Amino acid sequence: MALHKDEIALDVQDLHKHFGGIKAVDGCSLQFPKGKISGLIGPNGSGKTTTFNLLTGVTAPDSGKILYNGENLAGLKPYKIFRKGITRTFQITRIYREMTTFENMLSVAGLSIPEREVRQRAEELMDFVNLTGLRDEYGGNLSYGQQKLLEFSRALMTDPDLILLDEPAAGVNRTLLVELLKHIHELQEQGKTIIIVEHDMNVIMNHCEKIFVMDYGVKIAEGLPEEIQANKQVIEAYFGHT
Amino acid sequence: MTRKEHLINLGYLAAFLAVLTVLPSQFSVYITSFIMFTMMYVVLALSWNIISGYTGYVSFGHVLFYGVGSYASAILVADHGWHWVPTLAVSALVGVVIAVAIGFPVLRLKGPYFAIAMLGAAEGTRVIVTVWDGLTHGGEGISLPNVENSTETYIAMLLLMVATIAVSYWVGHSRFGIRLNAIREDELAAEVMGINTTVYKLAAFALSAVFPAIAGAIQANKTLYIDPETEFFILITITMKLMAMLGGKGTVIGPIVGAIVLYSVQEIVWIRFPQAHLIAFGIFLILVARFMPRGLVGFWIDRGWARKGMVH
Repeated sequence: MALHKDEIALDVQDLHKHFGGIKAVDGCSLQFPKGKISGLIGPNGSGKTTTFNLLTGVTAPDSGKILYNGENLAGLKPYKIFRKGITRTFQITRIYREMTTFENMLSVAGLSIPEREVRQRAEELMDFVNLTGLRDEYGGNLSYGQQKLLEFSRALMTDPDLILLDEPAAGVNRTLLVELLKHIHELQEQGKTIIIVEHDMNVIMNHCEKIFVMDYGVKIAEGLPEEIQANKQVIEAYFGHT
Repeated sequence: MTRKEHLINLGYLAAFLAVLTVLPSQFSVYITSFIMFTMMYVVLALSWNIISGYTGYVSFGHVLFYGVGSYASAILVADHGWHWVPTLAVSALVGVVIAVAIGFPVLRLKGPYFAIAMLGAAEGTRVIVTVWDGLTHGGEGISLPNVENSTETYIAMLLLMVATIAVSYWVGHSRFGIRLNAIREDELAAEVMGINTTVYKLAAFALSAVFPAIAGAIQANKTLYIDPETEFFILITITMKLMAMLGGKGTVIGPIVGAIVLYSVQEIVWIRFPQAHLIAFGIFLILVARFMPRGLVGFWIDRGWARKGMVH
Protein backbone atom coordinates (compact mmCIF):
# COMPACT_ATOMS: atom_id res chain seq x y z
CA MET A 1 0.00 0.00 0.00
CA ALA A 2 1.56 3.24 -1.11
CA LEU A 3 1.89 5.97 1.50
CA HIS A 4 0.55 9.46 0.98
CA LYS A 5 3.27 12.10 0.59
CA ASP A 6 2.49 13.58 4.02
CA GLU A 7 2.96 10.23 5.69
CA ILE A 8 6.52 9.79 4.50
CA ALA A 9 9.37 11.03 6.71
CA LEU A 10 12.20 10.07 4.38
CA ASP A 11 11.76 9.12 0.75
CA VAL A 12 14.77 7.28 -0.68
CA GLN A 13 14.64 6.88 -4.44
CA ASP A 14 16.82 4.55 -6.49
CA LEU A 15 19.94 4.96 -4.35
CA HIS A 16 23.23 3.61 -5.74
CA LYS A 17 26.65 3.28 -4.16
CA HIS A 18 29.50 1.24 -5.56
CA PHE A 19 32.86 0.63 -3.91
CA GLY A 20 35.13 -0.52 -6.73
CA GLY A 21 33.40 -3.60 -8.09
CA ILE A 22 31.15 -4.05 -5.08
CA LYS A 23 27.62 -2.77 -5.41
CA ALA A 24 26.98 -1.94 -1.75
CA VAL A 25 23.65 -0.26 -2.46
CA ASP A 26 22.24 -1.06 -5.87
CA GLY A 27 19.10 0.84 -6.71
CA CYS A 28 17.38 0.89 -3.35
CA SER A 29 14.09 2.73 -2.84
CA LEU A 30 12.67 3.04 0.67
CA GLN A 31 9.80 5.10 2.07
CA PHE A 32 10.07 5.43 5.82
CA PRO A 33 6.72 6.29 7.43
CA LYS A 34 6.50 9.42 9.55
CA GLY A 35 6.17 9.10 13.32
CA LYS A 36 6.78 5.36 13.34
CA ILE A 37 9.53 2.93 14.25
CA SER A 38 10.85 1.23 11.13
CA GLY A 39 13.31 -1.64 10.98
CA LEU A 40 15.96 -2.15 8.31
CA ILE A 41 17.21 -5.72 8.28
CA GLY A 42 19.18 -8.06 6.08
CA PRO A 43 22.07 -10.52 6.20
CA ASN A 44 25.63 -9.28 6.84
CA GLY A 45 26.92 -7.20 3.95
CA SER A 46 23.47 -6.51 2.54
CA GLY A 47 24.06 -2.74 2.57
CA LYS A 48 22.22 -1.58 5.69
CA THR A 49 25.05 0.39 7.27
CA THR A 50 26.06 1.79 3.87
CA THR A 51 22.47 2.99 3.47
CA PHE A 52 22.71 4.71 6.87
CA ASN A 53 26.00 6.29 5.81
CA LEU A 54 24.41 7.58 2.62
CA LEU A 55 21.41 8.96 4.48
CA THR A 56 23.61 10.87 6.95
CA GLY A 57 26.18 12.14 4.45
CA VAL A 58 29.07 10.04 5.76
CA THR A 59 29.47 8.78 2.19
CA ALA A 60 28.01 10.43 -0.89
CA PRO A 61 25.78 8.30 -3.14
CA ASP A 62 26.73 7.69 -6.78
CA SER A 63 23.16 8.43 -7.79
CA GLY A 64 19.65 8.53 -6.41
CA LYS A 65 17.60 10.88 -4.27
CA ILE A 66 17.06 11.21 -0.54
CA LEU A 67 14.01 13.41 -0.09
CA TYR A 68 13.39 14.93 3.32
CA ASN A 69 10.69 17.60 3.70
CA GLY A 70 10.75 18.04 -0.06
CA GLU A 71 14.50 18.60 -0.16
CA ASN A 72 17.11 16.30 -1.70
CA LEU A 73 19.81 15.51 0.88
CA ALA A 74 21.92 13.28 -1.38
CA GLY A 75 25.56 14.36 -1.28
CA LEU A 76 25.19 16.99 1.46
CA LYS A 77 27.86 17.16 4.16
CA PRO A 78 27.08 15.28 7.40
CA TYR A 79 26.85 18.43 9.54
CA LYS A 80 24.33 19.96 7.13
CA ILE A 81 22.12 16.88 7.18
CA PHE A 82 22.37 16.80 10.97
CA ARG A 83 21.24 20.40 11.17
CA LYS A 84 18.14 19.54 9.19
CA GLY A 85 17.03 17.32 12.06
CA ILE A 86 18.46 13.92 11.21
CA THR A 87 20.64 12.23 13.79
CA ARG A 88 22.23 8.82 14.20
CA THR A 89 24.22 6.43 16.33
CA PHE A 90 26.90 4.04 15.11
CA GLN A 91 27.20 0.27 15.02
CA ILE A 92 30.34 0.53 17.15
CA THR A 93 29.87 3.53 19.44
CA ARG A 94 31.73 6.67 18.50
CA ILE A 95 31.68 8.63 21.72
CA TYR A 96 34.62 10.89 22.60
CA ARG A 97 36.68 8.76 24.95
CA GLU A 98 38.91 11.44 26.47
CA MET A 99 36.07 13.84 27.13
CA THR A 100 33.67 13.69 30.04
CA THR A 101 30.07 12.58 29.61
CA PHE A 102 28.93 16.18 29.99
CA GLU A 103 31.45 17.42 27.41
CA ASN A 104 30.29 14.74 24.98
CA MET A 105 26.82 16.21 25.29
CA LEU A 106 27.92 19.85 24.99
CA SER A 107 30.04 19.24 21.89
CA VAL A 108 27.00 18.90 19.63
CA ALA A 109 26.67 21.86 17.23
CA GLY A 110 23.83 23.42 15.30
CA LEU A 111 21.25 23.42 18.06
CA SER A 112 17.95 25.16 17.61
CA ILE A 113 17.80 26.24 21.25
CA PRO A 114 19.62 29.26 22.75
CA GLU A 115 23.11 28.59 24.08
CA ARG A 116 22.15 29.21 27.70
CA GLU A 117 19.63 26.37 27.57
CA VAL A 118 22.14 23.90 26.17
CA ARG A 119 23.57 22.89 29.53
CA GLN A 120 20.10 22.39 30.91
CA ARG A 121 19.15 20.21 27.97
CA ALA A 122 22.34 18.18 28.37
CA GLU A 123 21.52 17.62 32.05
CA GLU A 124 17.95 16.57 31.22
CA LEU A 125 19.08 14.07 28.60
CA MET A 126 21.73 12.59 30.89
CA ASP A 127 18.96 12.18 33.43
CA PHE A 128 16.71 10.60 30.75
CA VAL A 129 19.25 7.77 30.25
CA ASN A 130 20.45 7.63 33.90
CA LEU A 131 23.94 8.93 33.25
CA THR A 132 23.79 11.89 35.64
CA GLY A 133 26.04 10.11 38.14
CA LEU A 134 28.72 9.73 35.47
CA ARG A 135 28.58 13.35 34.35
CA ASP A 136 32.26 14.11 34.99
CA GLU A 137 33.63 10.70 34.06
CA TYR A 138 35.64 10.20 30.86
CA GLY A 139 33.66 8.54 28.07
CA GLY A 140 36.33 5.88 27.74
CA ASN A 141 35.79 4.83 31.36
CA LEU A 142 32.08 4.04 30.86
CA SER A 143 30.93 0.46 30.27
CA TYR A 144 29.99 -0.43 26.71
CA GLY A 145 26.30 -0.26 27.48
CA GLN A 146 26.71 3.15 29.14
CA GLN A 147 28.65 4.35 26.10
CA LYS A 148 25.71 3.29 23.93
CA LEU A 149 23.36 5.27 26.16
CA LEU A 150 25.69 8.26 26.01
CA GLU A 151 25.83 8.11 22.22
CA PHE A 152 22.05 7.76 22.10
CA SER A 153 21.45 10.75 24.35
CA ARG A 154 24.11 12.81 22.55
CA ALA A 155 22.24 12.15 19.31
CA LEU A 156 19.14 13.68 20.88
CA MET A 157 20.74 17.01 21.86
CA THR A 158 19.19 18.87 18.93
CA ASP A 159 15.72 17.43 19.47
CA PRO A 160 15.85 15.78 16.02
CA ASP A 161 12.82 14.60 14.04
CA LEU A 162 14.46 11.57 12.47
CA ILE A 163 16.62 9.20 14.49
CA LEU A 164 18.72 6.48 12.86
CA LEU A 165 19.97 3.79 15.24
CA ASP A 166 22.61 1.37 13.96
CA GLU A 167 22.37 -1.84 15.99
CA PRO A 168 21.28 -0.31 19.29
CA ALA A 169 20.92 -3.73 20.92
CA ALA A 170 24.39 -5.11 20.07
CA GLY A 171 26.52 -5.59 23.18
CA VAL A 172 23.83 -4.25 25.49
CA ASN A 173 22.57 -6.42 28.36
CA ARG A 174 18.86 -7.28 28.68
CA THR A 175 18.06 -4.82 31.46
CA LEU A 176 19.69 -1.95 29.60
CA LEU A 177 18.03 -3.03 26.36
CA VAL A 178 14.58 -2.88 27.95
CA GLU A 179 15.49 0.59 29.17
CA LEU A 180 16.71 1.67 25.74
CA LEU A 181 13.58 0.36 24.00
CA LYS A 182 11.44 2.23 26.51
CA HIS A 183 13.26 5.44 25.55
CA ILE A 184 12.80 4.69 21.84
CA HIS A 185 9.05 4.27 22.32
CA GLU A 186 8.89 7.50 24.35
CA LEU A 187 10.52 9.32 21.46
CA GLN A 188 8.06 7.82 19.02
CA GLU A 189 5.19 8.98 21.23
CA GLN A 190 6.64 12.48 20.94
CA GLY A 191 6.07 12.18 17.19
CA LYS A 192 9.59 11.31 16.08
CA THR A 193 10.48 8.94 13.27
CA ILE A 194 12.90 6.17 14.17
CA ILE A 195 14.77 3.81 11.87
CA ILE A 196 16.60 0.86 13.39
CA VAL A 197 19.19 -1.41 11.80
CA GLU A 198 19.33 -4.49 13.98
CA HIS A 199 20.26 -8.16 13.96
CA ASP A 200 18.25 -8.96 17.08
CA MET A 201 14.98 -10.23 15.56
CA ASN A 202 13.11 -9.91 18.85
CA VAL A 203 13.75 -6.19 18.82
CA ILE A 204 12.76 -5.87 15.18
CA MET A 205 9.63 -8.03 15.26
CA ASN A 206 8.27 -6.74 18.58
CA HIS A 207 9.05 -3.05 18.30
CA CYS A 208 8.97 -2.03 14.63
CA GLU A 209 5.74 -1.21 12.87
CA LYS A 210 7.24 -1.50 9.42
CA ILE A 211 10.17 -3.57 8.25
CA PHE A 212 12.38 -3.24 5.18
CA VAL A 213 14.59 -6.15 4.15
CA MET A 214 17.75 -5.66 2.12
CA ASP A 215 19.97 -8.20 0.42
CA TYR A 216 22.90 -7.53 -1.93
CA GLY A 217 22.17 -3.83 -1.89
CA VAL A 218 18.53 -4.01 -2.97
CA LYS A 219 15.27 -4.04 -1.07
CA ILE A 220 13.77 -7.52 -1.33
CA ALA A 221 10.73 -7.02 0.89
CA GLU A 222 8.82 -4.55 3.04
CA GLY A 223 5.80 -4.88 5.26
CA LEU A 224 4.46 -5.55 8.71
CA PRO A 225 6.42 -7.89 11.01
CA GLU A 226 4.09 -10.82 10.42
CA GLU A 227 4.26 -10.36 6.64
CA ILE A 228 8.05 -10.32 6.73
CA GLN A 229 8.21 -13.44 8.88
CA ALA A 230 6.13 -15.30 6.29
CA ASN A 231 7.97 -13.91 3.25
CA LYS A 232 9.67 -16.69 1.29
CA GLN A 233 12.30 -14.40 -0.26
CA VAL A 234 13.36 -13.13 3.17
CA ILE A 235 13.72 -16.63 4.53
CA GLU A 236 15.83 -17.54 1.51
CA ALA A 237 18.04 -14.50 1.96
CA TYR A 238 18.74 -15.50 5.55
CA PHE A 239 18.89 -19.26 5.30
CA GLY A 240 19.56 -19.94 1.60
CA HIS A 241 17.41 -22.01 -0.75
CA THR A 242 15.65 -25.03 0.69
CA MET B 1 33.49 25.92 36.14
CA THR B 2 31.81 28.42 38.37
CA ARG B 3 32.22 32.18 38.13
CA LYS B 4 34.09 32.13 41.44
CA GLU B 5 36.67 29.67 40.11
CA HIS B 6 37.19 31.78 37.00
CA LEU B 7 37.76 34.83 39.24
CA ILE B 8 40.27 32.95 41.40
CA ASN B 9 42.18 31.94 38.25
CA LEU B 10 42.10 35.55 37.09
CA GLY B 11 43.53 36.59 40.47
CA TYR B 12 46.45 34.17 40.12
CA LEU B 13 47.16 35.45 36.64
CA ALA B 14 47.07 39.10 37.77
CA ALA B 15 49.49 38.42 40.64
CA PHE B 16 51.84 36.53 38.32
CA LEU B 17 51.79 39.40 35.83
CA ALA B 18 52.34 42.06 38.47
CA VAL B 19 55.53 40.26 39.49
CA LEU B 20 56.67 39.95 35.88
CA THR B 21 56.04 43.62 35.20
CA VAL B 22 58.37 44.86 37.96
CA LEU B 23 61.06 42.23 37.39
CA PRO B 24 63.14 43.90 34.62
CA SER B 25 64.07 46.80 36.86
CA GLN B 26 65.30 44.41 39.56
CA PHE B 27 67.58 42.09 37.61
CA SER B 28 70.50 41.94 35.26
CA VAL B 29 70.09 42.03 31.49
CA TYR B 30 70.78 38.30 31.40
CA ILE B 31 67.95 37.38 33.78
CA THR B 32 65.55 39.80 32.08
CA SER B 33 66.31 38.31 28.71
CA PHE B 34 65.99 34.80 30.15
CA ILE B 35 62.50 35.66 31.45
CA MET B 36 61.58 37.19 28.11
CA PHE B 37 62.50 34.06 26.21
CA THR B 38 60.69 31.89 28.75
CA MET B 39 57.59 33.99 28.10
CA MET B 40 58.13 33.56 24.38
CA TYR B 41 58.15 29.80 24.77
CA VAL B 42 54.98 29.97 26.88
CA VAL B 43 53.41 31.73 23.87
CA LEU B 44 54.75 29.15 21.41
CA ALA B 45 53.77 26.11 23.49
CA LEU B 46 50.26 27.44 24.13
CA SER B 47 49.79 28.24 20.45
CA TRP B 48 50.96 24.82 19.30
CA ASN B 49 48.58 23.35 21.85
CA ILE B 50 45.52 24.98 20.21
CA ILE B 51 45.84 23.06 16.96
CA SER B 52 47.76 20.03 18.20
CA GLY B 53 46.61 19.56 21.80
CA TYR B 54 42.96 20.59 21.57
CA THR B 55 42.30 19.67 17.94
CA GLY B 56 44.67 16.70 17.64
CA TYR B 57 46.46 17.87 14.47
CA VAL B 58 50.07 17.44 15.54
CA SER B 59 52.11 20.09 13.75
CA PHE B 60 55.80 19.47 13.06
CA GLY B 61 56.22 22.78 11.30
CA HIS B 62 54.92 25.46 13.60
CA VAL B 63 58.20 27.36 13.44
CA LEU B 64 56.92 28.42 10.04
CA PHE B 65 54.66 31.06 11.58
CA TYR B 66 57.35 32.24 13.97
CA GLY B 67 59.75 32.58 11.04
CA VAL B 68 57.43 34.47 8.70
CA GLY B 69 56.42 36.75 11.57
CA SER B 70 60.01 37.63 12.34
CA TYR B 71 60.81 38.22 8.66
CA ALA B 72 57.75 40.38 8.04
CA SER B 73 58.76 42.64 10.92
CA ALA B 74 62.50 42.70 10.14
CA ILE B 75 61.92 43.60 6.48
CA LEU B 76 59.63 46.50 7.42
CA VAL B 77 61.99 47.82 10.10
CA ALA B 78 65.30 47.37 8.24
CA ASP B 79 64.27 48.13 4.66
CA HIS B 80 61.26 50.40 5.00
CA GLY B 81 62.10 52.36 8.12
CA TRP B 82 59.02 51.37 10.15
CA HIS B 83 59.00 51.58 13.91
CA TRP B 84 58.97 47.99 15.22
CA VAL B 85 55.70 48.21 17.19
CA PRO B 86 53.26 48.62 14.27
CA THR B 87 55.04 45.81 12.39
CA LEU B 88 53.66 43.38 14.97
CA ALA B 89 50.19 43.83 13.48
CA VAL B 90 51.54 43.12 10.01
CA SER B 91 53.31 40.00 11.28
CA ALA B 92 50.07 38.82 12.89
CA LEU B 93 48.20 39.34 9.63
CA VAL B 94 50.89 37.55 7.59
CA GLY B 95 50.75 34.64 10.06
CA VAL B 96 46.97 34.30 9.74
CA VAL B 97 46.92 34.63 5.94
CA ILE B 98 49.61 31.97 5.55
CA ALA B 99 47.87 29.71 8.08
CA VAL B 100 44.61 29.86 6.13
CA ALA B 101 46.36 29.36 2.79
CA ILE B 102 48.35 26.36 4.03
CA GLY B 103 45.67 25.05 6.36
CA PHE B 104 42.97 24.77 3.73
CA PRO B 105 44.69 21.95 1.83
CA VAL B 106 46.87 20.54 4.61
CA LEU B 107 44.16 20.17 7.28
CA ARG B 108 42.49 17.58 5.04
CA LEU B 109 45.37 15.27 5.92
CA LYS B 110 45.34 13.33 9.14
CA GLY B 111 47.83 12.04 11.69
CA PRO B 112 51.37 11.46 10.39
CA TYR B 113 50.48 12.84 6.94
CA PHE B 114 49.54 16.20 8.43
CA ALA B 115 52.69 16.18 10.59
CA ILE B 116 54.95 15.52 7.60
CA ALA B 117 53.12 18.04 5.40
CA MET B 118 53.69 20.74 8.05
CA LEU B 119 57.35 19.75 8.35
CA GLY B 120 57.60 20.11 4.57
CA ALA B 121 55.78 23.44 4.60
CA ALA B 122 58.18 24.86 7.20
CA GLU B 123 61.30 23.60 5.42
CA GLY B 124 59.94 24.77 2.07
CA THR B 125 59.34 28.24 3.48
CA ARG B 126 62.88 28.30 4.85
CA VAL B 127 64.22 27.52 1.38
CA ILE B 128 62.03 30.19 -0.24
CA VAL B 129 63.21 32.77 2.31
CA THR B 130 66.82 31.74 1.67
CA VAL B 131 66.63 32.09 -2.11
CA TRP B 132 64.37 35.15 -2.32
CA ASP B 133 67.30 37.57 -2.05
CA GLY B 134 65.40 40.64 -3.22
CA LEU B 135 62.92 40.52 -0.37
CA THR B 136 64.67 38.67 2.45
CA HIS B 137 68.39 39.36 1.89
CA GLY B 138 68.74 35.58 1.43
CA GLY B 139 71.17 33.50 3.45
CA GLU B 140 73.13 36.48 4.79
CA GLY B 141 70.16 37.47 6.95
CA ILE B 142 68.87 40.87 8.04
CA SER B 143 70.54 43.20 10.53
CA LEU B 144 68.14 45.53 12.25
CA PRO B 145 69.06 49.11 13.29
CA ASN B 146 70.85 48.97 16.61
CA VAL B 147 68.54 50.49 19.22
CA GLU B 148 68.22 49.73 22.90
CA ASN B 149 64.72 48.30 23.36
CA SER B 150 65.11 45.55 25.97
CA THR B 151 62.41 46.94 28.23
CA GLU B 152 59.97 47.59 25.38
CA THR B 153 60.39 44.14 23.86
CA TYR B 154 60.07 42.62 27.33
CA ILE B 155 56.77 44.42 27.90
CA ALA B 156 55.57 43.51 24.41
CA MET B 157 56.32 39.84 25.03
CA LEU B 158 54.60 40.04 28.41
CA LEU B 159 51.47 41.51 26.81
CA LEU B 160 51.57 38.90 24.07
CA MET B 161 51.82 36.16 26.68
CA VAL B 162 48.81 37.60 28.52
CA ALA B 163 46.82 37.62 25.27
CA THR B 164 47.84 34.04 24.47
CA ILE B 165 46.95 32.82 27.96
CA ALA B 166 43.61 34.63 27.79
CA VAL B 167 42.73 33.13 24.41
CA SER B 168 43.88 29.65 25.49
CA TYR B 169 41.85 29.96 28.64
CA TRP B 170 38.80 30.94 26.63
CA VAL B 171 39.31 28.06 24.19
CA GLY B 172 39.85 25.71 27.11
CA HIS B 173 36.57 26.65 28.78
CA SER B 174 34.26 27.23 25.86
CA ARG B 175 32.12 25.09 23.61
CA PHE B 176 34.44 26.10 20.77
CA GLY B 177 37.21 24.26 22.64
CA ILE B 178 34.99 21.27 23.38
CA ARG B 179 34.21 20.98 19.68
CA LEU B 180 37.92 21.10 18.86
CA ASN B 181 38.32 18.25 21.36
CA ALA B 182 35.51 16.37 19.62
CA ILE B 183 37.37 16.70 16.30
CA ARG B 184 40.49 15.33 18.00
CA GLU B 185 38.60 12.39 19.49
CA ASP B 186 36.58 11.37 16.42
CA GLU B 187 36.36 13.71 13.47
CA LEU B 188 33.66 11.75 11.65
CA ALA B 189 31.43 11.58 14.71
CA ALA B 190 32.02 15.31 15.27
CA GLU B 191 30.86 16.11 11.76
CA VAL B 192 27.83 13.80 12.02
CA MET B 193 26.98 15.60 15.28
CA GLY B 194 26.71 18.95 13.54
CA ILE B 195 30.23 20.39 13.66
CA ASN B 196 31.48 22.07 10.48
CA THR B 197 34.92 20.58 10.95
CA THR B 198 36.60 22.49 8.10
CA VAL B 199 35.72 25.85 9.63
CA TYR B 200 36.62 24.81 13.18
CA LYS B 201 39.97 23.38 12.15
CA LEU B 202 40.88 26.45 10.10
CA ALA B 203 39.90 28.76 12.98
CA ALA B 204 42.03 26.74 15.40
CA PHE B 205 44.94 26.72 12.96
CA ALA B 206 44.75 30.48 12.40
CA LEU B 207 44.61 31.09 16.17
CA SER B 208 47.62 28.84 16.68
CA ALA B 209 49.56 30.78 14.00
CA VAL B 210 48.89 34.37 15.00
CA PHE B 211 50.72 34.36 18.36
CA PRO B 212 53.92 32.66 17.14
CA ALA B 213 54.06 35.16 14.26
CA ILE B 214 53.97 38.08 16.73
CA ALA B 215 56.45 36.31 19.04
CA GLY B 216 58.84 35.91 16.12
CA ALA B 217 58.51 39.60 15.33
CA ILE B 218 59.26 40.69 18.91
CA GLN B 219 62.18 38.31 19.06
CA ALA B 220 63.66 39.70 15.83
CA ASN B 221 63.55 43.21 17.29
CA LYS B 222 65.18 42.02 20.49
CA THR B 223 68.05 40.03 18.93
CA LEU B 224 68.43 42.55 16.05
CA TYR B 225 69.73 39.97 13.60
CA ILE B 226 67.85 37.17 11.87
CA ASP B 227 68.68 34.61 9.21
CA PRO B 228 66.72 31.71 7.70
CA GLU B 229 68.65 29.04 9.60
CA THR B 230 67.81 30.39 13.05
CA GLU B 231 64.29 31.70 12.33
CA PHE B 232 63.09 28.45 10.72
CA PHE B 233 65.12 26.15 12.98
CA ILE B 234 63.25 22.84 13.31
CA LEU B 235 64.31 22.55 16.95
CA ILE B 236 62.00 25.48 17.77
CA THR B 237 58.99 23.44 16.58
CA ILE B 238 60.16 20.41 18.50
CA THR B 239 60.73 22.48 21.63
CA MET B 240 57.20 23.96 21.63
CA LYS B 241 55.76 20.50 21.07
CA LEU B 242 57.81 19.01 23.90
CA MET B 243 56.89 21.80 26.28
CA ALA B 244 53.19 21.22 25.64
CA MET B 245 53.62 17.46 26.01
CA LEU B 246 55.66 17.76 29.20
CA GLY B 247 53.09 20.01 30.84
CA GLY B 248 50.07 18.24 29.41
CA LYS B 249 48.69 18.93 25.97
CA GLY B 250 45.04 19.76 25.61
CA THR B 251 45.02 21.76 28.85
CA VAL B 252 45.53 25.47 29.53
CA ILE B 253 48.02 25.23 32.38
CA GLY B 254 50.03 22.33 30.91
CA PRO B 255 51.97 24.17 28.17
CA ILE B 256 52.66 27.08 30.57
CA VAL B 257 54.17 24.74 33.17
CA GLY B 258 55.97 22.76 30.46
CA ALA B 259 57.52 25.86 28.89
CA ILE B 260 58.76 27.24 32.22
CA VAL B 261 60.18 23.91 33.41
CA LEU B 262 61.76 22.86 30.14
CA TYR B 263 63.24 26.26 29.25
CA SER B 264 64.76 26.60 32.73
CA VAL B 265 66.17 23.07 32.71
CA GLN B 266 67.52 23.59 29.21
CA GLU B 267 69.24 26.82 30.18
CA ILE B 268 70.84 25.34 33.28
CA VAL B 269 72.02 22.19 31.51
CA TRP B 270 73.23 24.18 28.51
CA ILE B 271 75.42 26.47 30.63
CA ARG B 272 77.02 23.66 32.58
CA PHE B 273 77.28 20.93 29.97
CA PRO B 274 77.17 22.46 26.50
CA GLN B 275 78.08 19.12 24.89
CA ALA B 276 75.74 16.92 26.87
CA HIS B 277 72.79 19.29 26.65
CA LEU B 278 71.01 17.64 23.72
CA ILE B 279 71.61 14.17 25.10
CA ALA B 280 70.11 15.18 28.46
CA PHE B 281 67.22 16.76 26.59
CA GLY B 282 66.57 13.54 24.68
CA ILE B 283 66.69 11.31 27.74
CA PHE B 284 64.39 13.65 29.60
CA LEU B 285 61.83 13.44 26.83
CA ILE B 286 61.93 9.68 26.60
CA LEU B 287 61.27 9.51 30.34
CA VAL B 288 58.31 11.89 30.05
CA ALA B 289 56.79 9.97 27.14
CA ARG B 290 57.26 6.69 29.00
CA PHE B 291 56.09 7.64 32.49
CA MET B 292 53.88 10.68 32.01
CA PRO B 293 52.25 10.30 28.59
CA ARG B 294 49.63 12.91 29.47
CA GLY B 295 52.19 15.28 30.96
CA LEU B 296 52.51 16.77 34.42
CA VAL B 297 48.90 17.92 34.45
CA GLY B 298 47.64 14.47 33.38
CA PHE B 299 49.72 13.03 36.22
CA TRP B 300 47.98 15.39 38.66
CA ILE B 301 44.54 14.56 37.30
CA ASP B 302 45.17 10.82 37.62
CA ARG B 303 46.02 11.34 41.29
CA GLY B 304 42.93 13.42 41.90
CA TRP B 305 44.88 16.67 42.42
CA ALA B 306 43.13 18.35 39.51
CA ARG B 307 39.72 17.92 37.94
CA LYS B 308 38.89 16.06 34.76
CA GLY B 309 37.49 17.84 31.76
CA MET B 310 37.36 21.48 30.87
CA VAL B 311 33.78 22.38 31.70
CA HIS B 312 32.08 21.72 35.00
